[in-house]
Amino acid sequence: MRRLFWAAALAASVIAGPCLAQAKDDTLVVGAAVFTDSLSPAAGGYITLSLVYQTWEPLVARDADDKLVPALAERWETVSPTHWRFHLRRGVKWHDGTPFTAADVKFTIDYVTDPKTVYVRKGRIAGVVATEVVDENTVDIRTSSPAPLLLRGLADIAVEQKAVTERLGQKEAHRRPVGTGPWKYQEWVAGDRYDLVANPDYWGGAPAMKRLRIRTISEGATRVASLIAGETHIIEEVPVDLLPSVERRRNLKVDSIESSVSLVLTFDTRKPPFDDVRVRQAVDYAIDKKTLLQQMLGGYGSVLDGQLVTKATFGHNPKLQARPFDPAKAKALLAEAGHPRGFDTKITTLSGRYLSDVDIANAAAGMMTAAGVRATVNVVEGGVWSQLDRNKEQGPMYQIGWFSVGDADFNTVWYTEASKRNYWTNAEFDRLWQEGRSTLDEGKRLAAYHRMMEIMHEELPSIFLFGLPRISARAANVEGWQPSRDSLLRLHKVRVK
Amino acid sequence: MRYVLRRLLLVPVPLLLVVGFVFAVLRLTGDPVAIYLGLDATPEQEELLRAELHLDDPIPLQFAWFLADLLQGDFGTSIQFKTAAMQVVAERLEATLLLLGLGLSLAVGLGVLAGVACAVWKDRLPDFVISILAVAGQSMPSFWLGILLIQLFALDLGWLPTSGRGGWQHLVLPTVTLATFLVPNFILVTRISVLETMREQFVVTARARGAGAGRALWLHVLPNAINPVVSLVGLQLGRLMGGAVVTETIFAWPGVGRLMVSAIFQRDVPIVVASVFIVAVTIVLANLLVDLVQAAIDPRIRTR
Repeated sequence: MRRLFWAAALAASVIAGPCLAQAKDDTLVVGAAVFTDSLSPAAGGYITLSLVYQTWEPLVARDADDKLVPALAERWETVSPTHWRFHLRRGVKWHDGTPFTAADVKFTIDYVTDPKTVYVRKGRIAGVVATEVVDENTVDIRTSSPAPLLLRGLADIAVEQKAVTERLGQKEAHRRPVGTGPWKYQEWVAGDRYDLVANPDYWGGAPAMKRLRIRTISEGATRVASLIAGETHIIEEVPVDLLPSVERRRNLKVDSIESSVSLVLTFDTRKPPFDDVRVRQAVDYAIDKKTLLQQMLGGYGSVLDGQLVTKATFGHNPKLQARPFDPAKAKALLAEAGHPRGFDTKITTLSGRYLSDVDIANAAAGMMTAAGVRATVNVVEGGVWSQLDRNKEQGPMYQIGWFSVGDADFNTVWYTEASKRNYWTNAEFDRLWQEGRSTLDEGKRLAAYHRMMEIMHEELPSIFLFGLPRISARAANVEGWQPSRDSLLRLHKVRVK
Repeated sequence: MRYVLRRLLLVPVPLLLVVGFVFAVLRLTGDPVAIYLGLDATPEQEELLRAELHLDDPIPLQFAWFLADLLQGDFGTSIQFKTAAMQVVAERLEATLLLLGLGLSLAVGLGVLAGVACAVWKDRLPDFVISILAVAGQSMPSFWLGILLIQLFALDLGWLPTSGRGGWQHLVLPTVTLATFLVPNFILVTRISVLETMREQFVVTARARGAGAGRALWLHVLPNAINPVVSLVGLQLGRLMGGAVVTETIFAWPGVGRLMVSAIFQRDVPIVVASVFIVAVTIVLANLLVDLVQAAIDPRIRTR
């Protein structure tokens, strides 16, 4: 209702009004959708990294496309399958002027992996057993077993300055970051904004703008209004129903990229009727995914290729394709499985966790009903959801988005026994998953994931719906901006003309 | 003085009840771990965090630990932010108090003036128009009004900013939104109270002794009619807080209301408890103040 009203209101005002609070010329202002109350790399959800990585950097980074790129480590090699050597970038300085050295890297990894340290993403580098300083610019990392995911894990660990964190303690050091990144800390107002200034000595080149302000505007409609009013230059997460009002304005541009979040409808395969693969396939044929994508996601993002991971994720199997929309075949399969007159079922979903989640569930339920599987949608609150999830009681079908951050290992885990949350189980799948995470041989890993995708395509533990898009909008005079697959803000090359 | 002491002694009771209730409800309705770690967490990470937070203890035991800390003024560490929960809340408190204070002042000021106008011109045009506006204002959802105001004043006219915190301009729209939601009650209560007082014999006497209509209204009627309005302030504080949550969300105002709601969704118990506690303290203290003001205005209350 609220959204509907906004769409109408924005449509009504054909010309943007005069701009009052125009940002200062040398400042880039970003309207963020989710904001956290912390700048600490040790705390907060994944989204905290969006703030953390303005000032700090990892050894190895992801780029906007989820590809690994050198950051504080210029290059790396494996000495043996459990022994990695990182050659650090030379001449990098911390914001306080002290040079960055191997001691800082060792310090950071030691304290993150220390069992006594509270560090939310420490599991990402769980296999690390020792870090050694070889010389000023070289660090060795040893793992307990071959760790193909080490580099991706390191991309989530910000390297901190030994001297500062030791002197101030973790808490204080995390309140006023002294990093090596493109922006320097200036001021942070909890829940309102984060102000930063350019680091002119940044190894990747000084940022294009002198100042950066990241504002939190959690209400989507207000975020769009702030962009129209010229208070922000870039906004994250444009609500789908407000897209037309942004697209229509010539002074605004919409940018989109497919994230690595795969939206799926998972079956409880332990119980009838979904213990029968024919019934699951029938549901797959009954849902017109292309139409859903057009209607509910504004045509952004993409339909998954009949497999869990998105095209850009390591492990994507190019031979598989989504099953076509074929209601006749759906009905035939249902009849064959002994449900000629269909049956009643329900889809459980969260509201507002994923883009258009409830709308998608409702539309999919409608399509299923047309084919004979009479589905209703059950929207539950986050706390209730987590309890259902833990007890494996989400009901016959539930909607969820699994995040891969570029590697199939991260989201296939949810279909293995290791997750303790899986309804469906398959011994070959579990074995392949273990294989994929315990060899450094990329070819072998890829083969394992390709086969896993095939198994899932045939057995359909879930209906694979969409690779969800990240849709951002900007003023037309903003250059060098690209939304990232992993949702982190990468802003140092952005310029406002 | 005895009256004041008696009222002060009762202050901790509602606070304890509120805190116990919030803790129980939050722990019983959801498991925080899955939510904190985000979408990309692995099962191993979840096990680690679970052990770290002692979430495997029975709930009564968790509550006992929690109360023991509370007695020492320790509200615990925010599970999401790893910072002292009270500190996170305190950083946001000033913004919310500013908004509530301004909204309430505007609502009381406008409400009393309009209510008096209604009473004075009872059943005539001003009464009619104001009453209709009051009903309209009361029926209008805050988020809708907020969006309308942004549309008109920020986008079409460009006079005011859409959202955020900054100079006085940033305060205008949130304050108006919040006040609009409360004004109607104050109008209606003032109107009835003034009308009733006008019929009292001492007012008739005052008029008979030659006091003009204006003098009778401001010096005799209003001071005697104001007490219901003052008690309404106390009653409306809870609603006001609810309105603040919505207003803060629409206008991206960095206050406690928005923090509290997001903490509830994240099952960040320390933050929720600390903010509910702060809100409860504010409401309890404000109600205490209301009682004292009433006692000061009306001697009959003091002797009760």
